[in-house]
Amino acid sequence: MTAGLETRELTKAFGGVVAVDHATVSFRHGKVNALIGPNGSGKTTFFNCVTGMIRPDSGTASYRGKDITRTAPHRVAAAGIGRSFQLCRIFPRMTVMENLLAAVRPQGIGALLRRSGGAADVERARGWLHRVGIDHLEAAEARDLSYGQQKLLELAGVLMAEPETIMLDEPAGGVNPALIDRIAALVRELNAEGRTFIVVEHNMELVMSLSDHVVVFDRGRPIAEGPPADVQSDPAVLEAYLGV
Amino acid sequence: MRSASRWVALAVGVALVLAFPLVSPNAYILSAAVVILHYAVLSTSWNVVGGFTGYISLGHAAYFGLGAYGTALLITRAGVPSFLALGLAGLVVAVLAVPIGIAALRVRGASFVIVSIALVLILLLVFQSWREVTGGSDGLVVPRPFPELLRPQHHLVFFYLFAALLALVLLAWWTIDRSRFGMGLKAIREDEDKAQALGVPTFAYKLAAFVLSATFTALGGGMYALWFGDLDPVFQFSILIGSYMVLMALLGGVRHLFGPVLGALVVGVALEFFKQQYGDTQFHLVATGLLLGVVVLFMPDGVIPAVRGLLARRGPQQSSIREVSAAELQKERVP
Repeated sequence: MTAGLETRELTKAFGGVVAVDHATVSFRHGKVNALIGPNGSGKTTFFNCVTGMIRPDSGTASYRGKDITRTAPHRVAAAGIGRSFQLCRIFPRMTVMENLLAAVRPQGIGALLRRSGGAADVERARGWLHRVGIDHLEAAEARDLSYGQQKLLELAGVLMAEPETIMLDEPAGGVNPALIDRIAALVRELNAEGRTFIVVEHNMELVMSLSDHVVVFDRGRPIAEGPPADVQSDPAVLEAYLGV
Repeated sequence: MRSASRWVALAVGVALVLAFPLVSPNAYILSAAVVILHYAVLSTSWNVVGGFTGYISLGHAAYFGLGAYGTALLITRAGVPSFLALGLAGLVVAVLAVPIGIAALRVRGASFVIVSIALVLILLLVFQSWREVTGGSDGLVVPRPFPELLRPQHHLVFFYLFAALLALVLLAWWTIDRSRFGMGLKAIREDEDKAQALGVPTFAYKLAAFVLSATFTALGGGMYALWFGDLDPVFQFSILIGSYMVLMALLGGVRHLFGPVLGALVVGVALEFFKQQYGDTQFHLVATGLLLGVVVLFMPDGVIPAVRGLLARRGPQQSSIREVSAAELQKERVP
């Protein structure tokens, strides 16, 4: 099995609250992984630790065999990991097209000073906007889009950076069922093209239908993992979710 | 068509600036125009970091003062020719801005504003106390670069020198605005964490913009020293100068190339008017404060976007982006 995103004993505490508690997790590279757990179980903090948004207190994170612990977020992105946020985050005062062009990573001073919005970048951006279905809005200011459209824009922005692994934090949160279906279809398509997904999600129907591998968190640590059907009937998971 | 009209407008603007000294009725008006141009240089320089990244520095007077004193001391202490001293002072400030930026840009929002103010206050105290070098409150006389010129000619030469410096700063801002680097800076202004997650090396970008902004501000300060010829820490390291830079940029519009220039024109003329009318009272400060209040309340994006919005409302109506055609609805269907 190819090594993808892995953590060893990853720990992060906020004061007396241990949000991520010695979490050792290995995600399946090339698959759709789901990270589930009750509210407050440390899923988003885990995401933030892995992507460099916050510094873990101890433990390690590695991606494709390379240590990424305490690595700056832009370097994690450069290593091939893209992410979305729990509360949809876009650049509100930029146009839809600019939201995507901001994800272009120029190499060298010359490329940095080259005009943004070159034909190749714009074509690529249009391609992603078309894939997510909002290409007709490319000239609109992002803040004028509906919440669902903003979710799609956020996903298109992540894709524009061409990540190999995509971490989605509640992609179905607050969106209508039709849009959930569209997002699920996109994830399947992109996964078929070779991209790995790690999805934090509360919509169990979506998790069960979409994922190949499920990791369940409770109180900051994984309590179960495996194929969706196995995890669903795991007594530890039932106890964490239902208290039975 | 739109691009052609822009070039025509730019050519007319440049011609008006270049012709101004010819129609200026007296040396006082010309000197007031030099002051306004110097404000335009400072405010546009400030906008390189403030406008692109949204990091509001109220202490940019620190670089203005360092550029002015750096130029003056290189001339008086080291005997460096005036304009070489100006360039060297700009370089020195660029080097100093690196560690300052590394320290200051670690904090965001209100904390960054406070750090920026603290720096200018520290420098004010240092330059006031270090009398044997800076002259302290007695001031520091800067030799005039063109001693043979009479006052009106002196103003005339510096009018064009400030105009050239302004053109340089505007060119830099325009280049950044169009570039991928500029797009990264604007992403920082919108949402720094999100920009980082997309792969923008935010700290390096912020630092580069900060150093560039400080350097241009220092060049503005050095040119001011050569023009005015007399420096005092109270005026060179003044919170007021830094506040003017911010006010002018906000007034015109921080997201626009000519926003700070327009702001400098409005605030510069208003300041001169109030000083003329009310002499040494502090009324010009009250008026400036009121102006800031009006801008923040009624034109938060500045005059240029407000006027554009007004014109757009009078023009043909654009349909809402949420109105979609049948074909678009088809496109939006679930795949």
